[in-house]
Amino acid sequence: MARKGASKGADAAPARLASRTLVLDNGAHTIKAGFSPLTTDSEPHADAECHVVANCIARSQRDKRTYIGPELLEECWDFGELAFRRPVEKGFVVNWEGEQAIWERTLLDKRSPLQCDPHEMNLILTEAPNGPSVLQRNMDEMVFEEFEFASYYRTISPVLNAYVPPPFPSTPALPSGTAAECLLVVDVGHSHTTTTPLHHGRPLHAACRRLEIGGKTLTNRLKEVLSRTVEVQKEDWIVQEIKEDVCFISQSFSSDLERVWKGGLKDPRDVDTSIVVDYVLPDYEAIKRGFSRPHDTKVSRKDRALGLHGGPREHIVTIANERFTVPELLFTPSDIGMQQEGVAGTILQSIYSLPQGLWQPFLANILVVGGSSKFPGFLERLRSEMESRVSEEYLVRVAQAEDPLKNVWAGGARLARSKDALSPLVVTRQEYLEHGDVWTRRKFAGKV
Amino acid sequence: MATGPLRFATPHIEELPTTHTRQAPGFAWVAVSGAQDDSSKNWGTANRKRARAQGGGQTEAQKEAITARQQREIERKIKELNSDNSKDVQIPLPKREGTGGGASRAGKTSNTKKILASGKTFAHYLDDEEAEIARTGRRDGDLEVQMPAAQPRPSKTPLARRKTLGEDGSSTGGTPIPQSLNARRSMDHSSRPSTPGASRLDEQNEDQQDIPTLPTDAELDVLLKAPPLTYNQARSAPPPSNAPPPRRFCEVCGFFGRAKCMKCGAMTCSVLCKDTHDEHRCLKFYA
Repeated sequence: MARKGASKGADAAPARLASRTLVLDNGAHTIKAGFSPLTTDSEPHADAECHVVANCIARSQRDKRTYIGPELLEECWDFGELAFRRPVEKGFVVNWEGEQAIWERTLLDKRSPLQCDPHEMNLILTEAPNGPSVLQRNMDEMVFEEFEFASYYRTISPVLNAYVPPPFPSTPALPSGTAAECLLVVDVGHSHTTTTPLHHGRPLHAACRRLEIGGKTLTNRLKEVLSRTVEVQKEDWIVQEIKEDVCFISQSFSSDLERVWKGGLKDPRDVDTSIVVDYVLPDYEAIKRGFSRPHDTKVSRKDRALGLHGGPREHIVTIANERFTVPELLFTPSDIGMQQEGVAGTILQSIYSLPQGLWQPFLANILVVGGSSKFPGFLERLRSEMESRVSEEYLVRVAQAEDPLKNVWAGGARLARSKDALSPLVVTRQEYLEHGDVWTRRKFAGKV
Repeated sequence: MATGPLRFATPHIEELPTTHTRQAPGFAWVAVSGAQDDSSKNWGTANRKRARAQGGGQTEAQKEAITARQQREIERKIKELNSDNSKDVQIPLPKREGTGGGASRAGKTSNTKKILASGKTFAHYLDDEEAEIARTGRRDGDLEVQMPAAQPRPSKTPLARRKTLGEDGSSTGGTPIPQSLNARRSMDHSSRPSTPGASRLDEQNEDQQDIPTLPTDAELDVLLKAPPLTYNQARSAPPPSNAPPPRRFCEVCGFFGRAKCMKCGAMTCSVLCKDTHDEHRCLKFYA
């Protein structure tokens, strides 16, 4: 089934679109943004053109400075005791006062590589699925009335993944601007994990599901369990780095847990040192970034902190079962008492709510994206859980996007390269002023 | 009810406290559910003494089951884990140099002024929408009202195949579900496919042929045109009842919990962990 109205809008395309397009994947944790020129034959390179910007306003207790958006990664050198304010709550832009400041610093400021004039720019903007419609209206109004973009296409972020050639072997090449036929996008994000079946790039809304565990849940959980030994409740950034550095998804949870169990201080049994690590916390003087190394049982934590062991003074935290019990929440939310099924179960809920004829095409095209899917072992675990839960007569294929973080952006950039595909989707500023916000929302909902 | 004509079917209006933010302008709609189902709040009316006498004390299963109080504690904790901002910190935006100062931050039009000044949180928006659904039976009325051919909820087929929501479908507990959704709920309660070939629909399919065929274009079109689920509807359902019970972990070291504390119900794995627990954590609320 062809995208609705693709041929109809093609003739009017040049007038409707500005020459450049800004693709902005407005994630809760980071904004992935970059320009996609309309007239180029080269593939958009996510690495070179997509900028990752922290979507937060951070306040440092140490230098008493407030960092807005991109300033955090460019100018901040001491991430200790950083406090965060995030305008995106549960995946949706709620606090526009903060978001406006970040966008202005990213898009209008001279220092930013993304500086542009919104009046000459098409915008492809993403939102999380299943949001309250008032928030969608707010977003439309801010884009057109405050930033005054020339034209604008708002879509739920999983949709754009369909425009990237899927990483499955033996799939036909995808010309830019066309969407994969059947794709089930599993987006493991900062706020939550969503599953969205897409048919030619259009979501099957009745089968969208959301598991309310994402990167921030895991960071907060790690903060909580590490605080049993070292007080890290205020170190959001450092704990997030610890999570990214050492956490992994266990392939056999209970045996891994047995291997690192020590029934108390005097228990003579040896723990598996391949799992237990010492994480050296950064002090932002000698150690700029924390790192992990194999566990050393000889020197105690206190001696190290005081420099009594003969080496440099360093604060370490020993991390054992926390390495895999924390990200395990993605697969077993009931471990913290959450009444939801894990990633695999949520995917199956999504698929089984479709007609049976569609089960096979979606089971064979499961695409994993999102920053929190980068844990080592995630893909293997998901694949084995899916295979064990699905009847053998079905073929299950699970693949991860080449760059899980920037895949949505890459899809948007590929869509933007094709005028014919993009033109019927966007609403121009003139149309918005003419028809109003209700019409705009109906257009984005596919009802015009 | 002699004063019939004077009674209005309006939801109860309540101003929600906004603790961490500025007071939101205006008011917030709050859906008020009917009877309270929460047994923990139902403290006077049910004859608990009689129920206890008939039941002959607690069963093992009841003892194992978590109490309402523990459940609330778990929910509070999950909410904390899912919070976006740093705890107890308010970060005001710094004053800007140049570029017109505060004027442009206030918004260029009345709409954006309102948006920028809004102190609402996501929970407010969610409640507003739930209340609108309870009131009007549909979300975002604007979109539907202007539909040219008054399109009802799209045809019954996909709705029947839609998966049942968990009984506690909404985060707000007693959020009422619109009539149309209620009907759907009861309709597909029995036909929730848990394994391939288990549901009523599948049996129908299998009567005709073995391999399920792709749906027709018309069927797909209906699926594609279905409106998005609401935030609460899209939440992943709880595991099926035959799933293994939730694992419990040692509160001190994170290993599998083996023994339950008689006083507070927390799990520990070994004598040492139990000692630590008794010394530092047990019943910390009372100590």
